[in-house]
Parts: sequence; structure tokens; C-alpha cells
Amino acid sequence: MKLAISGWRIFEDHAAGVIFRLLLAATIAFLVLPIIVSIILSFDNREFIGTFPPPKFSLRWYRAFVDNPSYLDGLVVSLRLALLTAVISTAAGAGAAIALADAQWRGRDLVEMLFLSPKFVPTVVIGFLLGFATAIHVFDAFTRLVMGHVVITIPFTVRATLASLVGIPRSLSEAAVSLGATPWRAFLDVTLPLARTGIIAGALMAFVLSFDEVAVSIFLTDAYTQTLPIALVAEMRANLNLTVAAISTVFAAMAVVIVFFLDRAVGLDNVIGRGMYRG
Amino acid sequence: MRMSAAHRALVAPGLLILAGLVVAPITLMSIESLRRFVGGRVGAAGGWTLNNYTDLIAPAYAFYFWDTFRIGFLVSAVTVALSAPLAWQAARTQIHLVRLSIFGLLISLLFLSLIAKLYAIQMTWGPTGLLAVFGTLIGVPVRSPGYAEVQVFIGLLHFVLPLATLMLIGTFQNISPRLEEAASSLGAPRWRVALNVTLPLAVPGLLSTFLLVFAMCISNFVVPLILGRGIVLFTTNLMYTRFSDVANYPSGAAIGVIMLVLAGGLVYAMAFVARWMASGETWR
Repeated sequence: MKLAISGWRIFEDHAAGVIFRLLLAATIAFLVLPIIVSIILSFDNREFIGTFPPPKFSLRWYRAFVDNPSYLDGLVVSLRLALLTAVISTAAGAGAAIALADAQWRGRDLVEMLFLSPKFVPTVVIGFLLGFATAIHVFDAFTRLVMGHVVITIPFTVRATLASLVGIPRSLSEAAVSLGATPWRAFLDVTLPLARTGIIAGALMAFVLSFDEVAVSIFLTDAYTQTLPIALVAEMRANLNLTVAAISTVFAAMAVVIVFFLDRAVGLDNVIGRGMYRG
Repeated sequence: MRMSAAHRALVAPGLLILAGLVVAPITLMSIESLRRFVGGRVGAAGGWTLNNYTDLIAPAYAFYFWDTFRIGFLVSAVTVALSAPLAWQAARTQIHLVRLSIFGLLISLLFLSLIAKLYAIQMTWGPTGLLAVFGTLIGVPVRSPGYAEVQVFIGLLHFVLPLATLMLIGTFQNISPRLEEAASSLGAPRWRVALNVTLPLAVPGLLSTFLLVFAMCISNFVVPLILGRGIVLFTTNLMYTRFSDVANYPSGAAIGVIMLVLAGGLVYAMAFVARWMASGETWR
């Protein structure tokens, strides 16, 4: 039997297709347009923030960024902080994930819940908690920042490592042990290499999260130790200037570079997966 | 099975960190929320009270909660409505380049600093921006106080849209395209296929995305801080003010406890939806 396709139905499908495409275009424009505007403005030659588009271009706002000590100090603090956070959070998180993936020992579910719990606590609450608990100034600001950032990034390093260990049969490390390796060697030579992609992904996430953090940091910084995001937030609340546009453009370039390497390393398709109904 | 020594050694550092920096401070905060506030001092003060909680019911403070939930709800609804078509397109397209471009865009936006995004929104939708006319079009001129809320709305939407779309790509990928093709070949026009076949099957995914986005919105701090111009403040901002400006820790702690309870409720709702999805039942 051949179903007749009426002219009305063809019209309906065309109209629906056009509306659908317009909606998609609007959504993508909503996401991309502000970023493009900000990138173009970062090359503005004017002293003040004027109407878009700028009449002349220059690199003056990039020079202003490099010449501003408070931004550079902030950048150094943020980089050190993100690096230290990534190292500590990955060591503690990946270790826990390997133990969690290994066996059904007593209390395992409770421990897993505890490790993932900071993800469900609003970050401001974590900032408040630590700001309040350390208000007596036993620790310096940098130590407090590391504490806060490690707490909020641990769930991500645990999750990433756990995800990469799911589906790896336990029999692999058991085989190594039965062939004469010590459990420690089996761990180093079998389990750790298998978990490598997850550990690296978790460390990358911890670094990026820490580098961009505001809600926790704002409770823990002091007048002498400022992260770059905190310095930028203060600047943006006080007055708008185009130095922030230059820094934003640098951030955007960094994001593209990270995604490029992510695609090279694991393939963007694999980050999301192809689902049940695709080959 | 008991924990082995190796397991204990692997778990211990993280457990110590979390016990010291999350569990202990939450306990401290809960206790602090029951203390009477005495200006200018930290720690043990005069006696116990429930006033820190009852104060928040007063209209002046309930307003912060109302603003937070109202804007959060609105953003979440619009986010699901806008991200679903984009996610469907990415899940169904046969063209590799289209799929890769959408993925690349969404993941780049995830990695892009939130501050850079908010700055970009301020420069595009703000007073000097290209899209400032939008305010006039919807009857809220760019320089009027009401526009702060529009900006916060736009900022939150931009913040959550990429993650919501990535989540929904997973949802649509797990709905068999055969069902859509079947409906289509039996004569249903496209919009009916979308409404009567795809949408009902996607309800659990849409719902869990909505809940996650809602949780992200109401616990957000930076967007209202920068785009709210001091006019739109979320409970998170109120909590920070309590901490930094007036050092009223008991009141800030009470807000923190309420936010923890709310977050717990949302996590519970998400777990419920996840179980529902796993059970394989669909809407109707």
C-alpha cells in the first residue's frame, strides 16, 4: 500500500522545518554573538567604551593587561592555585576511586556518597563554611584557597577516574597477582595505566574549575592574595573597561585550545558517546 | 567483606580532607545558625535562638528567596525549551561536520570562563551593546532598574544552556529514531511526530535536565553579583553580604542550612527521576 502524501502535509513539514531552523539559528546566535562582540571590542582603539563596532583597532587593551600588576599577580596566584589543587585533588580523588571501583567492601556506598557530596552542596555554602571555620586566621589566604578548591574539585576527579575504571574486569589485576606480582606491582603496572585517561581528564577538570572559581574564593581571599577571577569581578563591579575584554579573549583562546587537544586525545564524540541507536 | 589495608590507604587522605573541610564545618555552621547574633564578635555569644530562621520569613528576606526561585524557574523552563531542539539536531544529524561543530561549540563554552561570558553579555546586552534595543522591545528599557533582572536571566541562560544541551543529546540518542520514522511513514506531519512521539519519550530526560539546571541557577552566585547591579540579589548573595559586610555569621549560617536542605531535596528529586528512567517506563 502506498500512502498518499498530500500537498498540505508537504507544506506543514516545510513550515515546521523553517521554524525549527530559525529556532536553532537563534539559539546558536544567542550563545556565540556575545563572545564575538567581546573579542572584537578587545581590539578597540578608543579610550572609552563606545558603541559597537569600534571605528579603529589596536592592541592597547592587551598592553594594559600586561602592564597591570594586580592582574598579573592574580594570574600567578590563580595558576599556582589551580596547579596545586589539581595535584592534591587528583591524588586524593583518584586513589579513592581506585579503592571504590575495586570491591564491595563494607561501607563502600557511604564512602562514595561522602566523596561525591561536595558536588551537591552549593559552592557558596562551601565558601561560607570555610570562611567561617577559618575566620580566626590560623591559615594564610593561599592555604585556605587550596582547601576550598580541593573540596569542590574532589567529586570531579573521583567521578572521572571511576568512569574510566567501570567495565575493566577485576580479573586483570588478579591475574597479575596469581602470576607472582605483589599487589602493589599489580596496582602500578595494571590498574593505574588502565585508569590513566580518567585520571588525566579529572585533573584537567580540577584545573579548569579552580582557575575560574569565584563563589568559594571570594570568602577566602584577603587584601594580599587575590585570584585573577576575584580581581576581575571587583573590576567589573566597579567600572567597565576593555582590559577585561582582552583577558576574556585570552580565556576564549584557551578554551578552544583545550577542546582541540581534548578532541585529539579522546575525540569529542567519545566525550558524549553515540548512544544506543548508532553504530 | 572488610576493607583491606590497601583500600584504607587509598581512601584515607580524601576522607580526612572531606571530614575536616566539609563534615566538621557543616556541623559548626548548623550550631552557629542557632546562636544569637551579637554584633562585633565571633564564636560563642549569648545563648540560643531560632530567630535566625524566623527572621528570614519576614517579607524583606522572603523576597530574596522569591526572586531566586522565580528567576531560576523561568530560566530552567526556557533552557529546556531552547536546548531540546539543538540537542535533537545534534543527536539525529547524519552529517558528521554538523555534529562535530555543535559538540565543539558546546564543549568550548563549557570550558570558557564564566567571567568572560558575563562580560561578553554585559557588552552585548548592556547599555552600550548591540542588542540594547531588546530592552525597549520588551518594554523594559536598558537603563531602567527592571533591566537588571533581564540581564541576570540572560546571563543564567547563557551559563546553563551548553550543559543542558549536552545532557539532552544523551536523552535523544537513546530514543530510537525508528519510532519517529515509523510515525512519519504512517503519515504524521513532522510537528506531530515531535509532539506525539519524541516529546513523550523524552520527558524523564527533560525533567532531570530541568531539575539540574534549576539547582545550578538557584545556587549561582556570580551571575547576580555581576549582572544584578545590586538590584537583583539571590540568596547566595545575601549569604555573602551577611558574611562580609556585617559579619552576621549566625544569620548567614541559617541561610546556608536552608540552602543545604533545598539542595538535598533537589538531589532526592533527581534520584527519583533517574530511578524512573531506569525502570523504563515512559510518560502515559
